[in-house]
Amino acid sequence: MLALTGVTKTYGDGVGRVTALDDVSLHVEAGGFVAVCGPSGSGKSTLLNIIGLLDKPDAGDVSLGGERVVLAGRAEAARLRNRLIGFVFQSFQLLPRLTAWENVALPLFHRGLGRAERRAKALAALDKVGLSDRAAHRPDALSGGQRQRVALARALVGEPALVLADEPTGSLDSVSAGAALDLLRDVNERLGVTIVMVTHDREAAARCDRTINIRDGRVAGEAA
Amino acid sequence: MRAGPPPAALALEALTNLRGQGARSLLALLGIVIGAAAIVALTNLGHVAQAETLKRFEQMGVDMLVLRGIPAGEGPVRLDRETIERLPASDPDVVEATPLAIGRDGVRPLNRRQVAEEDAMIVAVTPAIFPVAGLDVARGRALGPFDACVPVAVAGSVVARDLTAGQAVLEPGERLSLAGYVFTLVGVLEPAPLEALSPVDYDRSILIPLSCARRALAAGDPTVALVRLQPEADPDRTGPRLAAALGNATATVSVRSAREMIAAMKRQTGLIARLLAGIGGISLVVGGIGVLNVMLMSVMERRREIGLRAALGATPADIRTLFAIEAAILSLGGGTLGAALGMSVTVLFSLLSGWDYVAAWWIPMLGPAVAVLVGGAFGLYPAFAAARVDPIEALRAE
Ligand SMILES: Nc1ncnc2c1ncn2[C@@H]1O[C@H](COP(=O)(O)OP(=O)(O)OP(=O)(O)O)[C@@H](O)[C@H]1O
Ligand SMILES: [Mg+2]
Repeated sequence: MLALTGVTKTYGDGVGRVTALDDVSLHVEAGGFVAVCGPSGSGKSTLLNIIGLLDKPDAGDVSLGGERVVLAGRAEAARLRNRLIGFVFQSFQLLPRLTAWENVALPLFHRGLGRAERRAKALAALDKVGLSDRAAHRPDALSGGQRQRVALARALVGEPALVLADEPTGSLDSVSAGAALDLLRDVNERLGVTIVMVTHDREAAARCDRTINIRDGRVAGEAA
Repeated sequence: MRAGPPPAALALEALTNLRGQGARSLLALLGIVIGAAAIVALTNLGHVAQAETLKRFEQMGVDMLVLRGIPAGEGPVRLDRETIERLPASDPDVVEATPLAIGRDGVRPLNRRQVAEEDAMIVAVTPAIFPVAGLDVARGRALGPFDACVPVAVAGSVVARDLTAGQAVLEPGERLSLAGYVFTLVGVLEPAPLEALSPVDYDRSILIPLSCARRALAAGDPTVALVRLQPEADPDRTGPRLAAALGNATATVSVRSAREMIAAMKRQTGLIARLLAGIGGISLVVGGIGVLNVMLMSVMERRREIGLRAALGATPADIRTLFAIEAAILSLGGGTLGAALGMSVTVLFSLLSGWDYVAAWWIPMLGPAVAVLVGGAFGLYPAFAAARVDPIEALRAE
C-alpha cells in the first residue's frame, strides 16, 4: 500500500541545519494499522507530511497504492490527497463557522461535488462515527471527543484508501481517546482502510497491528 | 477524476465567506462605494457643467459670426453699413446681417433730478439686431424701420434699473439725456444672457438707431457686424470671404464664429471634467487599497482555513479563485452601489443649482468598470498570497 525508500528530509542550512528524516525506508501493507512512535522532535510529523504529499522529500521515493508518486506540482499533489488520503489532526482543525456536516463535506467541495451529494455523503459519514444527531451543530457546540469524531468523519467521507492521523488522541481525555481509537480500529477492520497514526501514547500504540519507532530521524525498530 | 469545484460553487463559497466577515466586508465595500460614487458623481458633474456652459453658447445659435473691424491706419474704423445690410442678398450663405456702432457715454433721465448720470454702452443698431441677437423687449417696443433718424432709445435691463436709483421703474415715454441730446425711451429689454461671442453686453447698453449714431457717438460708422449663416454653411470658408468683402481702407476685419468658440469651450470644460474624474479616480484608488487591506487581513486570519482546505485537496488555483472572487464581489458590488449613489448626488446637485441634469450612457458604467479594474489590481495580490500558504505551517498546532 505504502512504501518509503531512502527518504531524507533536512530543514535549514549552515549551523541551523536539521536532519528531520535520515534515509528512512518502510513499508505498510494495505489494510494495515500502524503506529509511529518516538520522542518529540524525532521526525514523526515530518514523516507523516511526506507520506501525505504535503511535503516533498529531499531524496528517496514514496509509493502509494503500488505506484511511485512523482509530484509534478502542488495542484497534482492536492488532487491526489483529495482522492487517496484522509487526514486527522491533533487539534481537530474544524472550521468554526461551518456546521458539523459542512465541515465533513469540505473535501467533497474541493472534489467538485454538488451540494446535495456532499450533504448526503457527509451525513452518511457522520452516521458512521455515531454523530448523525449533531450534523447541524457548529464545532463550539461539540465536546472534544465529538469534534475528533467529526474530524474522523471528514477524513473518511471521500472514501480514501489511507488515513493519516497525527496524534489524534493528543487533545483528548482518556475516555474520549479510547472511543476515538475504537473508532479508528473499527474503520480499519470494517472498511479496510490503511491507517498510519503518530502517537506518544504507549497504550494507543499497543492497539495497532504494529509500531514503527523513530529516533533522530531514523527508523529505530519495529514491534508487532 | 474531476477537476475541482466549478466557479459557481466557488462564488457561492466566496459570498458565504464575505458574509461571515460581517463588518469588515462592509467597510471594504464602503471604501469602494465611496470611491466609485466620487468618480461617477464628479464625472457626471463635469458633464452637467459642460452641457450647461454649452447651452449658453448654443442659445445664440451655432451659426453666428462676429465680424469686427480692426483699425488699419490712424483713423477710426468705418465699415460700410450698406455692404453689411446687403450681405443676405449678396452672399448665399448669409441669412441675416446687422451692423453695430459702439461707444460709451453718460446717460441720465431728464425728469429725475435725484438720479446721477450713469455711464453706459451706447450701441447704434439697425432693427435686425433684435432677431439676430435674440433680444426681447420687456416693456414698450423695439426699434423699427421707421426710427431711421428719430432720437429714440431702448435700454438694457441693468441700465434701466440703475437709472431709477431704486425708485419707480423706467417707463417708455421718459426722456433721456444722452451725449447732450435728448432721446425718448421707447422700450426696455428683457435680461439677455451674456454670451461669450457677443460684442456687446446688452443688459448694460442703450440701443439707438444707427442712423442717429453720428449724433450720440464720436464715430458713427459701424465697427462690428453680426451675421447669421445658413445652417449648412461652413463658417471656416464663409468667414474669410465676408471679412474680405467688408474690409476697406480704414479696417481689416477679424472673424469669430460661434462654432469655433463652442469647440474651444468644449475643450476647456472637457479638461475640467477630466480633472474632476481624476480626483474621483484617486478616491477610488484609496478604496482599492481598502480592498487590498481587507483581503490581506482576511488571508492572514484565515491562514489555518486555507491550509486546511489545501490539505484536504484544494489546489492553489482553487484557493486563488476563491479569494479573487471575494475581491471581485466587493469591487463589483461596491462599484454598482457607488454608481447609483454618485448619480443620485449629481441629480440632487443639479436640482439644487437649477441646472439641467444630463448623463451619458457610459457614466454609470464608469463606477463598476473602474472599480473592477482597481479591485482586480488590488485583489489579485491577496489571492496569490492565499494560494502560496503552506498547509504544514498553517496547520501546525500553536
Ligand atoms: N519547517 C521546519 N523548519 C525547520 N525545522 C523543522 C521544520 N519542521 C520540523 N523541523 C525540525 O525537524 C525535526 C523533526 O520535527 P517533527 O515535527 O517531525 O517532530 P515530531 O516527531 O513530530 O515531534 P513532536 O512529537 O514534538 O510533534 C525537529 O527537530 C524540528 O525542529
Ligand atoms: Mg509532531
